[in-house]
Amino acid sequence: MKKVVRSKTQVAISWFVKLSLVGVVILAVLMAYLDAKVRDKFEGKRWALPAKVYARPLEMYPGLALKPKYLKQELEQIGYQRVPNVLTPGQYMIDGNEMDIYRRYFSLFDGEERAARIHIRFSNNTIEALWLDGQPVDIARLEPLLIGGIYPKHNEDRQLIQLSEAPELLIQTLVAVEDRDFYDHFGISPKGIARAMMVNVQKGGLVQGGSTLTQQLVKNFFLTRERSLKRKVTEALMSLLVELHYDKNEILEAYLNEVYLGQSGRRAVHGFGLASQFYFGKHISQLTAPEIAILVGMVKGPSVYNPKRKPKNALARRNVVLGVMLEQGLITNYQHLMWSKRDLQVVQYSQYQRVEYPAFLDLVRRQLRSDYQDQDLTSEGLRIYTSLNPVIQRSAEQAVAKRLSQVENGYGLAKKSLQGAMVVVSHESGEVEAVVGDRNPRYFGFNRALDAKRSIGSLAKPAVYLTALRGDRFHLVSPLDDGPIKVAGSNGKLWEPKNYDKKSHGVQPLYLAMAKSLNQATARLGLTVGLSNVVDTFKDLGVKRNLPAYPSIVLGAFEMTPFNVAQMYQTIATSGFQTPLKAIRGVTTAKGELLSSYGYAVKKTIKTEPIYLLQKIMQKVVELGTARYLNSQFDESLNLAGKTGTSDSQRDSWFAGFSGDKLAVVWVGQDNNKPMPITGASGALRVWAQTFKDLPLKPLYPLATQNIEERWVALHHNALSAQGCEGVEKLPFIKGHMPTQTSSCAQKTELKSWWNRVFD
Amino acid sequence: MKKSVLIIAAVTCVLVLNACAPATFKSESAKSATSLSLLPNWYHENVGYQLMGGNDYPSNNALANLLMEADSAFMQADLQRCQIFLERAQRIASRDAGVYVRLSYVFWVLNKTAQAEQMALRALAVMADDPQAKLEIERLLAGIQGSRY
Repeated sequence: MKKVVRSKTQVAISWFVKLSLVGVVILAVLMAYLDAKVRDKFEGKRWALPAKVYARPLEMYPGLALKPKYLKQELEQIGYQRVPNVLTPGQYMIDGNEMDIYRRYFSLFDGEERAARIHIRFSNNTIEALWLDGQPVDIARLEPLLIGGIYPKHNEDRQLIQLSEAPELLIQTLVAVEDRDFYDHFGISPKGIARAMMVNVQKGGLVQGGSTLTQQLVKNFFLTRERSLKRKVTEALMSLLVELHYDKNEILEAYLNEVYLGQSGRRAVHGFGLASQFYFGKHISQLTAPEIAILVGMVKGPSVYNPKRKPKNALARRNVVLGVMLEQGLITNYQHLMWSKRDLQVVQYSQYQRVEYPAFLDLVRRQLRSDYQDQDLTSEGLRIYTSLNPVIQRSAEQAVAKRLSQVENGYGLAKKSLQGAMVVVSHESGEVEAVVGDRNPRYFGFNRALDAKRSIGSLAKPAVYLTALRGDRFHLVSPLDDGPIKVAGSNGKLWEPKNYDKKSHGVQPLYLAMAKSLNQATARLGLTVGLSNVVDTFKDLGVKRNLPAYPSIVLGAFEMTPFNVAQMYQTIATSGFQTPLKAIRGVTTAKGELLSSYGYAVKKTIKTEPIYLLQKIMQKVVELGTARYLNSQFDESLNLAGKTGTSDSQRDSWFAGFSGDKLAVVWVGQDNNKPMPITGASGALRVWAQTFKDLPLKPLYPLATQNIEERWVALHHNALSAQGCEGVEKLPFIKGHMPTQTSSCAQKTELKSWWNRVFD
Repeated sequence: MKKSVLIIAAVTCVLVLNACAPATFKSESAKSATSLSLLPNWYHENVGYQLMGGNDYPSNNALANLLMEADSAFMQADLQRCQIFLERAQRIASRDAGVYVRLSYVFWVLNKTAQAEQMALRALAVMADDPQAKLEIERLLAGIQGSRY
């Protein structure tokens, strides 16, 4: 009997030992697994760093047309503070026509610019003289605006810092508020848990957690927000492992970079490094004690204590933290009293609380795709330097939104029924300076500038006239018949284009037919020069899609995106030299090593002479044709050129226009492709005018060659004439391609002149 | 004696009038020609043409500053840096033939002959009617088309 009892005990002990062994093995395996996980994260790349995208740096030099108000706007965008006396980098002052800027140090893909004081003297909205640290200079650059990032799916953004960069007071306050036993515990703090339990029992609810900084880090790094025993146990085990492998400073540094400290739109602000910039516009090392108190206070609840969104809560929480700082002897009574009464002093607008440019960023991302994988862009912290001009971008966004609302109100259309898109290019360099893809410029969605394929209407006409001028049959006053025209299509249907005013305009000189955008004359011209030749011209202008040689292509009955239209007009604006449109100048690693630069490339695809004549016609479009509204808004000496476009049934309103330096293409329409009560001139053209109304433009001087000569011609007689005769105009011609007849008036003038020479 | 006094007085008058006359307007093409005439020594020495110029830049000018930096980078065989300076120059003076001739030459040295040729064509287009400069660019073009650098 005794034997049996012993045997049962032995069995129990034996089972206990066996189960313990199994438990130990399972725990060992679990620990090994968790250990691998911890080491992998800590020793590998801890954070995915989004690529940072920058605008162009403002290049300033004597002679540059720049209104002081736009320089001030840019300085504010890049987080410079206006002060009465400039003392440190990031400040500026204005004194009459002079401006003093203390430039911060910055690096670009093509080098670095040191911190320096820039003094500028303006005269008539132009930089008259420039000094750098007191010395006159020819050129100086300003740091570029950070315009966005290419984020991983979780949209986390951070600016990594080293522990040595963080102020000692920040570390002390963080430890005092979040984990007083940090330097004594081994990952979990029984003392801290007991203290929290006591407080919670006293308050009758969960008011204080017992998690150490290590546990918080582990939770953020590896675990979900789930509240369960399993997660708590895993968190505790992993915290032990983290403490086993890494010293307190490493853990603290990881914590400072990992902690979530608020939201900025779609972007999650992580780490004290980015939070310092985001809330206070300064580097972490420059934080003051009350600012430290605000940030440390936010750890408990980044949304509840957000100083920008919940200032009252944030102020109360800051004062609680200041109280802890006083209690711990980190600040004096006097400091506590003084700082507790102070405002939050968060910056309303900083470089890091940026306005993003979704449509432009979309273009950047697409252009980077050929060289970089998405993963590189969202995790390696690359720096991407682009050509975005923030001043033009802002003006374009405002112009699109304003004109669309005006049209909706003026024509009784439903609000928000119209949409718009715009692409602005510095045509000589091929650099894209602004992109608007939606009337709400902050919208991350369908990008009409790049993806809306719309019928281009009369924007196709320059290709038809260029085809004619490239041959030897036509010149600027060649007579074109604008009578009714019918063409049988391959499907048996008749194509019968009509003019916008439903009238015919008889015989018109070639350049006037385009200036007035006559459909019947253009259709006839297109058929005369040959549709396949027109298709070839489109190709030479940079249209990559294969266009069918149907008659209707001459009036633009095919679809293109605004961006592709801009490429086509870039070739026209730069006298036949095609430069692929690009938004990126260079890419560097996070440390500033150059990875790639995207230089200037060009290809001559059209001869200079015919494109010279085309530019002259397009100047006539502005002078006396469908875009003459521009002449009422801009100085005539700018010699602007352009073309309006309205598609069938007025479903699309277009304008493509250029000066000596800028080209912009505007589209206005409805996403459902319904007709509108506006044309290219009353919709898109007005957006163009509004965009550039206040911006400096260079005059357009078409590039001539020695093969071009100007002659007086009788416009409606296709004949050379003379100054002083009726109905004459001086127009350019390619040598050997001009009217062969001479008007009777010119013959008389010539005879008179000969007579005068002989007998006077 | 009387005659020589009159001559001296006339010459003085002409000089004074000339000095007081307003500066003559220089066309875009004339500016291009000036800049092209200031191509650096390295260009002339390497291409072998001594038609014009030397290391002389217009003073107090952002373009000149960038061109000097580009030329200095070229002399240090840092062609990428040279190209970057030239592109900055092109952004602020897009019709300066000197910029395109330098770019053409840099591309030629890099054996990117197609780009070198296009840059030279661009230089020719913005050059307009300066026969001497035109001749220089045509020679450069012929060099590029005829051989690898």
